[in-house]
Amino acid sequence: MENHAMPAQDASDAQLAHRFRSRVLLFSRPRQVDMDLLLRVGDAPLLVRIRDGRVETADAPGAPLPSCDVSLRATAAAWSRFWQAVPDAGWHDIFALSKRGELSIEGNLKPLMAHLQFVKDLLATGREVQA
Amino acid sequence: MNAALEPIVGRYLSVDIGGKPCRVYFEEAGEGIPLVCLHTAGADSRQYRHMMCDADITSRYRVIAFDMPWHGKSYPPPGWQDEEYRLSTERYVETVMAFCQALALDRPALIGCSIGGRIVLQLAHQHADHFRALIGVEAADFQQPWYDTSWLHRGDVHGGEVCAALVSGLVAPQSPAVHRHETLWQYMQGGPGVFRGDLYFYRVDGDLRGRLDGIRTDRCPLFLLTGEYDFSCTPEDTLRTAAGIPGAQVTIMRELGHFPMSENPQQFRGYIMPVLDAIAGL
Repeated sequence: MENHAMPAQDASDAQLAHRFRSRVLLFSRPRQVDMDLLLRVGDAPLLVRIRDGRVETADAPGAPLPSCDVSLRATAAAWSRFWQAVPDAGWHDIFALSKRGELSIEGNLKPLMAHLQFVKDLLATGREVQA
Repeated sequence: MNAALEPIVGRYLSVDIGGKPCRVYFEEAGEGIPLVCLHTAGADSRQYRHMMCDADITSRYRVIAFDMPWHGKSYPPPGWQDEEYRLSTERYVETVMAFCQALALDRPALIGCSIGGRIVLQLAHQHADHFRALIGVEAADFQQPWYDTSWLHRGDVHGGEVCAALVSGLVAPQSPAVHRHETLWQYMQGGPGVFRGDLYFYRVDGDLRGRLDGIRTDRCPLFLLTGEYDFSCTPEDTLRTAAGIPGAQVTIMRELGHFPMSENPQQFRGYIMPVLDAIAGL
């Protein structure tokens, strides 16, 4: 019999990606941004489609090798630390993560750099609300 | 009506630097021990506005902050349009010394942040006798690069926006939004290629590893202050640097990043005041 149960880590990755999805769908800025951003939370991918400065969709890709402009990949543990309400030093910015080897940034970096604060603000929606 | 006149006064100084006439803008407030303030790469003297409005400082110090040529309200020297701006260690030292001499400052104290902190180390090495004390904020002899500076000046990415967005991560998350965004606004206002040109000093010409021997902190005290959230000049970078300088006094500052005096002046105050008290008592 085939076992469809997700391993515990995969489930945790998917839960974190799902939590981020519920928040990022509300994100928009008055800025002309069109970008497909692939976020990998451990083994859980989330393709965020941004059109005219608004998150249009954020879904798990339907097949491997989804087309995207840029991808950001880190473990769920690293994203969890990044998304703390007040992250610890060294875990508070995507470049802090990448400098310590916890985040891979791949793809075409031009749209990322051209809209860097937009992307940083978009990612910050995953941050827990400060009590 | 709610209005308040600040004590800061701005003036222009014409002075030759590197054989070229430069018109340098500076602001000052207070009376007493001259305290020259050096801004970070790609920014300007406005970073020190809070210290210039702090009566506990200006009652004892004449706080003077200038915009480096190419920055803020200081124009580039004539002929700039035909050259690529690249700050060198030699030109940076020459600029600081020319400014201090032109204003006839008698053994001023000096504080510099980031590239200003790096040049503090060079000044301690080269010109310690000219200064009462030196304060390096976010200072180290070297730090690992974390991005390609060619992103800072290219035709298809807005220079001001990418400069600000890159350094935004160096501001501590605890810093108040108003000060965070004021700090970033300066980066958005920088001239094309200027931040990148400053980083030539930081990344290429100003590697001071193994070049800081003989610093005499008994003749010119050296204070190093670094924010825990600075992942560009990390606390480890500063501690490593200080370990090679006998007598250097190091403090790692909590809940601060790469722009302490600008991003969270109240938090920084808790760290800079004891240093200024110590210098005033020398």
